[in-house]
Amino acid sequence: MLMMKNWYKNVYHKLFHLDDRLLLIIAGSVTGVFSGLASVVLRLSLESALKWLHPFQQYWWAFVFPGIGALLSSFYLEKIAREGAGHGVPEVIYSVSRYGGLLRFRSSYSRIISSLLTIGSGGSAGPEAPVVMSGSSIGSSIAKLLGLNDRQRITLVGCGTAGAIASIFNAPIAGLVFAVEVILGEWKFVNIIPIAIAAVAGTEISQAIIPEQVIFNHQMFKVGFYDILPSLCLAVVTALISVLFTKALRQTGKIAKKTPFSLWTRAIIGGCVVGIMGMFMPVVLGEGYHFIQSMISGTFAMGGFIVFLAVFAKIFATAVTLGWGGSGGIFAPCLVIGSLAGIAFHNVMSGLFPSIECASQGAYALLGMTGIISGVMQAPLTGIFLIVEITGGYETILPLIIVSSLSSTMSHYIEPASFYFKELIERGQFLRPGTDARILSDLNISEIIETDYSKVSENMVFREFIELLKNSHQHFFPVIEDNTGEYRGIIQISAIRKYALDPGMYNMIFLNQIMDTEVITASLENDLQEVLDMMDINNMDTIPVVENDWFIGMISKTRILDLYRRELIMQTSV
Amino acid sequence: MELSVFDLSKHLGVVPGTIERWVQQGKLPVSKKGTNFKFHTKELEQWAAKHNISLKLSDKRTKEKSQESVIQLSSAVRNGGVYFDIRGNDMKSVLESCIEKISGIPDEFKAELLDRLTERERALSTGIGNGIAIPHPREQLGYLSEPLVSICFLDKPVDYHAVDNQPVWVLFFILCPVLKMHLYLLSALSFCLRDNLFISFLKSKPEPEDLVGKIENLQKANPV
Repeated sequence: MLMMKNWYKNVYHKLFHLDDRLLLIIAGSVTGVFSGLASVVLRLSLESALKWLHPFQQYWWAFVFPGIGALLSSFYLEKIAREGAGHGVPEVIYSVSRYGGLLRFRSSYSRIISSLLTIGSGGSAGPEAPVVMSGSSIGSSIAKLLGLNDRQRITLVGCGTAGAIASIFNAPIAGLVFAVEVILGEWKFVNIIPIAIAAVAGTEISQAIIPEQVIFNHQMFKVGFYDILPSLCLAVVTALISVLFTKALRQTGKIAKKTPFSLWTRAIIGGCVVGIMGMFMPVVLGEGYHFIQSMISGTFAMGGFIVFLAVFAKIFATAVTLGWGGSGGIFAPCLVIGSLAGIAFHNVMSGLFPSIECASQGAYALLGMTGIISGVMQAPLTGIFLIVEITGGYETILPLIIVSSLSSTMSHYIEPASFYFKELIERGQFLRPGTDARILSDLNISEIIETDYSKVSENMVFREFIELLKNSHQHFFPVIEDNTGEYRGIIQISAIRKYALDPGMYNMIFLNQIMDTEVITASLENDLQEVLDMMDINNMDTIPVVENDWFIGMISKTRILDLYRRELIMQTSV
Repeated sequence: MELSVFDLSKHLGVVPGTIERWVQQGKLPVSKKGTNFKFHTKELEQWAAKHNISLKLSDKRTKEKSQESVIQLSSAVRNGGVYFDIRGNDMKSVLESCIEKISGIPDEFKAELLDRLTERERALSTGIGNGIAIPHPREQLGYLSEPLVSICFLDKPVDYHAVDNQPVWVLFFILCPVLKMHLYLLSALSFCLRDNLFISFLKSKPEPEDLVGKIENLQKANPV
């Protein structure tokens, strides 16, 4: 029995403790299954919501549905779930970079419910960001259950993301690429395997539960040599639309905050505006998967100029839905806008050059989708792989790569921060692993501070100080008040050398006369970036830290370099 | 505006070799390649903003600190003045009559200054030996507009608890609005008083102008 126990301990130790790859793979696949389930649940409930509301759509008052949905959604998030609005992806990225992927378990269902209310009622938003949030939160919760560390938790958060995206699009590679490219931001061997497995697990779950309802049926496209030039033009168009879309999303949110209406009124107004638009142009409503499907397969019945208008209508509807209180992501709207733009582009092109031998409308819808996804998220690989997997073939890969890379490059040129990162960058929370900002934010002031300084009294005679100096290695002596111990100033040996070598001064002065009281001091509340800035501006190598008139210690550049380097090694090593 | 490698290296606080390596590695936006690199200010500013690097191209900050209020000992003596035949029997009365005489001290602060000086003497005598004392307060005197060094020759030597227990016959008052000047003047004075020739010159109770001139000469020998 004891032998068995020892043997078990040994095996457990070897398999899981020393090397966590197996553990991560197993935990990752479980995460993938659950996040896949989450997205299946959201998809199925969205469809039933659509079916349930369908009979009412013919009435004139149907436009209030999105308003009510947005109201319920923001009420739910604000009062019941008590979570901030927003689509969730920046929150996940921030949590990954700052808190080791720590997310609340509540987030695993709260966004699903709120986005179901928004999208199910007709609001223009995507269900992907909510399922990403819930998948990540599932991963985080599983990591918590297993008592894993930050690094392992981050991997599981990536697994959750990948499982969710893979499941909702039936596209495992897109899930993997999205998780690594957008959420984690680093391609590490130890991450990729569990995430890939989670992505496959998520896909399998969605296929097992809803086999006949894979979102986009695989299609065959004939894309030839003549499509390269048009795809270059399309890339430019999609890049511009991406920038427009990103700007519209951010601006409407800002405008909404400036209006005098309460949160609830805003949600109703925004929803009703979308509802009214939907009466005339139903393509703007909901997540729009059905429209995308019909556009890809070429059965989309909307012609000429209307499609062109629809692009902007969808942009506006999504911006209003998300900016004025609805909850959801931008992934699906990107796809709808992209396919509309692709079709509009195809229409224009075949109108101008009727004789050109280019691919079908459906193929251009795909190219448009890639362009917008890559442009808005500035994640070219996600754009390429998602569409490749949706089409199920490599016939379109060449124009896909062209559109995707060109669109993301161009939109990056115009707007350097992608939609997901912009918020984080503005708040100074964009901290990718291995970057300067990340290391500076990880290193705490209290880790760097050197506290073993002996203090001297301001009433000490210079002669005594010189005696002290003979047996000391300190380069700095904090001077304190006798009774209270308050910090008064600092003596830097290099600054007083002249006086220290002049015995005539020894009995003449007290330390309060020789100390430097004008030295800039840092406090424990400063972060490392601020402290470094202070040192840079004032040309200091060492800065005293003083908190509430109490000398704490010194921060030196030498010590910072030492710790910075160790931190960099720790963060970049696998 | 265009910058050369050398200019940029000055702005960034690195050696020109580092700049050249960065250009080689494609990390700096360079506008003219070849043997002499040139950089555009605008491009550099964009680059610095993007990479979170502090780069100040426009304002070359002058070092104000080094030019801050350095006063020569001789001019401080001119401000303070030289006084002869000060009467008094002990330290306190001598200090009192000196303060009475020194014209640079505003009248309303004289009593307070005396307190400060005697307090300082009680803590540790400023008699440095050879019959010389350097009375000064520990605090800066904000009411003075400029530093004063007043030289007071005594009528007759008094006991001052000096380090060598010799009676003191001359006092050098150092009165400064700022502590930093005080240190500087004290150090300069201490240099002068280490000179035996100067001390014997002092003993001859020279005319104020000669004294200042002598101090000026000594200053030149010990430039700071």
